[in-house]
Amino acid sequence: MKLNSNLTAPLGGNNPVIVQILGICSALAVTVKLEPAVVMGLSVIFVTAFSNLVMSLLRNGIPSRIRIIVQLVVIATLVILVDQVLRAFAYDVSKQLSVYVGLIITNCIVMGRVEAYALGHKPWESFLDGVGNGLGYAMILVIVAFFRELFGSGTLFGIDIIARFGYVGNSLMLFPPMALIIVGCIIWVHRSFNKDLQEK
Amino acid sequence: MAINKNSNAYIIMYTVVMVVIVATLLTFAATSLKDRQNANAENEKKSAIMEALGMAGGSMEQTVKDFDEMIVPALIVDGVFTPQVDAAGKADAKPVLDKMADLKGLAAAENELPIFKYEKEGVIRYVIPVSGKGLWDSIWGYVALTEDGNTIAGVVFGHKGETPGLGAEIATEPHQNLYKEHKLFDDNGRFVSVKLVKGGAHEGNLHEVDAITGGTKTSDGVTLMLKNGLAKYEGFLRSLSATAAEDTTLSDDAVSEPVLDETFSDGETADVKPINVEEE
Repeated sequence: MKLNSNLTAPLGGNNPVIVQILGICSALAVTVKLEPAVVMGLSVIFVTAFSNLVMSLLRNGIPSRIRIIVQLVVIATLVILVDQVLRAFAYDVSKQLSVYVGLIITNCIVMGRVEAYALGHKPWESFLDGVGNGLGYAMILVIVAFFRELFGSGTLFGIDIIARFGYVGNSLMLFPPMALIIVGCIIWVHRSFNKDLQEK
Repeated sequence: MAINKNSNAYIIMYTVVMVVIVATLLTFAATSLKDRQNANAENEKKSAIMEALGMAGGSMEQTVKDFDEMIVPALIVDGVFTPQVDAAGKADAKPVLDKMADLKGLAAAENELPIFKYEKEGVIRYVIPVSGKGLWDSIWGYVALTEDGNTIAGVVFGHKGETPGLGAEIATEPHQNLYKEHKLFDDNGRFVSVKLVKGGAHEGNLHEVDAITGGTKTSDGVTLMLKNGLAKYEGFLRSLSATAAEDTTLSDDAVSEPVLDETFSDGETADVKPINVEEE
C-alpha cells in the first residue's frame, strides 16, 4: 500500500514539477518536440531511480561529513553514463538535448529525493520513490512537449498531424516562455481539481 | 568495536574506494562506447555531404550506404586530386574526414585539402567542406560544385549555436536553395566566391544571395567562410574549369591576380587574406 503511493504520489498530488516547482529549467528547454522530451524523461527516471537506490544502499556507511559529496559523485556518475549511452545509441536526440543531459546533475529533483528520502529509507522503497518522481517529471515534460510540438510545428514525434490541413506552425509555441505558460496552465488545472493545494 | 564513521582515516578510505570504483566504471563505459560514438559523428558528416548533393532523402543507413558506394573521398595534394584508399584498395573516407577536423587550421598554402567526388552516370560533382565562425559559435558547411568547378550545385550549412529564427536560418532549406546555380568565378576568371548581401541580392547577380534578415553577423560569417574556405581550392577549381572548357581560355594574368575587392565593406577586410598573391 505504502509502496504504491511512493510510485503514484509524485504523479498527482505531490508532483515534483507542478507542486514542488522543481526542475523547471530543463522542462522549458527540452520540450520543443516530443522525442527529446521523452528521452529526457527516461534519462531522469533512470537517474532518480538509481541514485536513490545506490544512496539508500550506502546510507548506513556514508560518513555524514562528506554526505553531499558522495551524493554528487553518485549522481554525476549516473548522468555521465546516460550521456555516453545516448551519444552512442541516440545520437540525434543527444545532440538536440545537448547540455541538458549533463545538467540533470543539477536537477533539484534528483538531489532532493536522495537527501529527503533515500538516506532514510530502505533500498526498494527508495527505488520506487525515484521512479515515481522521475515519472512525475517526465509526465509534465511530455504534456508540455505535446502541446508545443502540435501547435508549434503541427506534428507529433515528427509525424504530420494537423499541418497537412493547412495549419501553419505557430512559432511562438517554440519559444521557451510558452513552456512556462503551459506549465502555468497545467498547474492551474491541477489545483482546481486539488482544492487542498490552493493557497489561501 | 564499532568503526568511527567520522574519523579521518575512514573518510579517506571511503573516498578512495568510491573514486576508484566510479573511475573504473566510467572508463569502461567510455572506452566500450567510443567506437559507436565516433561512427555516429562520421555518419553525420557523410549524410551532410549527401545532403549537399541533394541525395539525403532516406534513412541514415541508406544515406551512409550511398555515400560509401558513390563518393570518392580524396585529398588534393599539391593541387592534384588524390583518391584515398585503404590497404585493401577500397575507398577510405577516414583520412579525409580526419583532415576536416581542423579546417580552419588549414592554411591556404596547405598541401592536403579534403574533397569528395561524386561520379555516377556521367554526372560529376565535387563537395568541398568549409568552416568558419558565426555570431556565437562555429559554423560549417559543404559546397557541392558541378564538374566545371565553378557552378554551385547545392550547399548545406550547419551551426553550433546561432540565434534560432535569425542566424540559425542558414541551416534551413529555403536559404540553402538560394545558392544553386551561383558561380564562384566571374566572367574574367577572377575568384569572387558568393556573398550574402544585406538588403537583398541584386537581380541576376550570380555572386550574391540574400543575407538573413536580422542575422547580419551570421551572414557575414558565411560570406567569409565561403570566401576563405573555397579560396584554398582555387588552384584545383581552375584546373577543373580549364578541362571543362578547353576552348574558352582563361587569361594567364587573371589567374594570379589578388582577390581583394569591395566585397567586404564593413571593416572585415582585415580578416580576409588575399589568396594566391604573388608579390609583383
